[in-house]
Amino acid sequence: MASETMTRSDTEEAALAERFRKLHELYADAPEVGRVGLDKIIGDLKERVSGQQRATSAGRAGLRIGKVSELTLIADIKPAGARRMRALLDALGGNFQAADKVGTLHDMRFVFLENDTKVLFCTAYDGEWDPYIDDFATKIPDEMDVVFCNVEGWPGIRSPQIKDWIISKQHTADGWYVALPNQTVAKGRRLEKVGKAVDEFLDAVG
Amino acid sequence: MESQTLTKAELDSVAQQKVQKLREVFADAPQIAKTALANLSQELTAHLSEPRSRMESAGRTGSRQGKVSELTLILTFAPGGARRLRALLQAQNGNFDGADKVGTLHDMRFVFLENDTKLLFATAYDGDWDAYIDDFATKIPDPMDAAFSAFEGWPGIANVQETKDWIAQHQVTAEGWYVASPDLTVAQTRKLEKVGKAVEEFLDQVG
Repeated sequence: MASETMTRSDTEEAALAERFRKLHELYADAPEVGRVGLDKIIGDLKERVSGQQRATSAGRAGLRIGKVSELTLIADIKPAGARRMRALLDALGGNFQAADKVGTLHDMRFVFLENDTKVLFCTAYDGEWDPYIDDFATKIPDEMDVVFCNVEGWPGIRSPQIKDWIISKQHTADGWYVALPNQTVAKGRRLEKVGKAVDEFLDAVG
Repeated sequence: MESQTLTKAELDSVAQQKVQKLREVFADAPQIAKTALANLSQELTAHLSEPRSRMESAGRTGSRQGKVSELTLILTFAPGGARRLRALLQAQNGNFDGADKVGTLHDMRFVFLENDTKLLFATAYDGDWDAYIDDFATKIPDPMDAAFSAFEGWPGIANVQETKDWIAQHQVTAEGWYVASPDLTVAQTRKLEKVGKAVEEFLDQVG
């Protein structure tokens, strides 16, 4: 089978070469450590980077690599909203366990920014944007309302405007890396069980 | 010595108190939130009396759930830095295979904010903060310098101590952190993928 680098077309080659030329030019006035860093990695980059963009769109917004997508949302917090959100997160011990019910969520963080006037909400999830938002809306609607009622403009998870609201607050990443891009949450859970069963089996025969 | 472990009844009582306190804090919240909280009360009490795991510190900064930690940085671009970093990311075409070398990194995102004046860098990784930063510094120092020299005050990864101080200074610890499989490290998942494949082959042979 031909490797990625072997299948680059002439136009892809030309586009890549142009990109690397521009990159070099931009780094001419970078700080010393950056210029040296680029010089050291550029050979390797040229060799392994394919003409094909590896990340795809997760749907309406966000990037996706393999089966795993990113959602990054920043919203203004209402007055007193931070106090309520923090009390809720604190009561939960920081552990939003109900999110297990979503089934496609790898990880999720809530970060307060700019003196508690903004909240950053980041998740890594399986699949496409649209069904993912549907999962939140159908599987943990009350949890979503309890948390997000504290941000400005939240229309309510059952509102027909909810998806447009999310889009208006979402920032698509410019770089997205996933170590195990084919590993869905469901597959991870199954593998954990297989691992345990194999251990027990080996214990039994050993 | 008296047992430190709370009885089930005591745990339930603590959980009920927490939910009651939440109701008080939410007294002036929008109606949809109060309704939602009322709907959740029973479930919340149950979760709170038997938490699966509690959020802990990942070390110097950041939160951890089980074996998986979060790092969230908000960084200010130096003049020209945003253009350089964007060009670098575009040249990679979504290929971050170099990051595989870190070995403990689950996921990583670069998000440009506020008209390219700031960047959000967020990762999920295995274990403790200090060891993780060391991994970046020793395993992928050049990509780190090429990317992070875009920011104000980047000391250069060779100055590990200064770099750690700089990172800690720009890091914002998450106050909520959820991980679906908190006991699965990247290394363990890779191993389990092999075990899973071997089991399938084995079952194919005996079946």
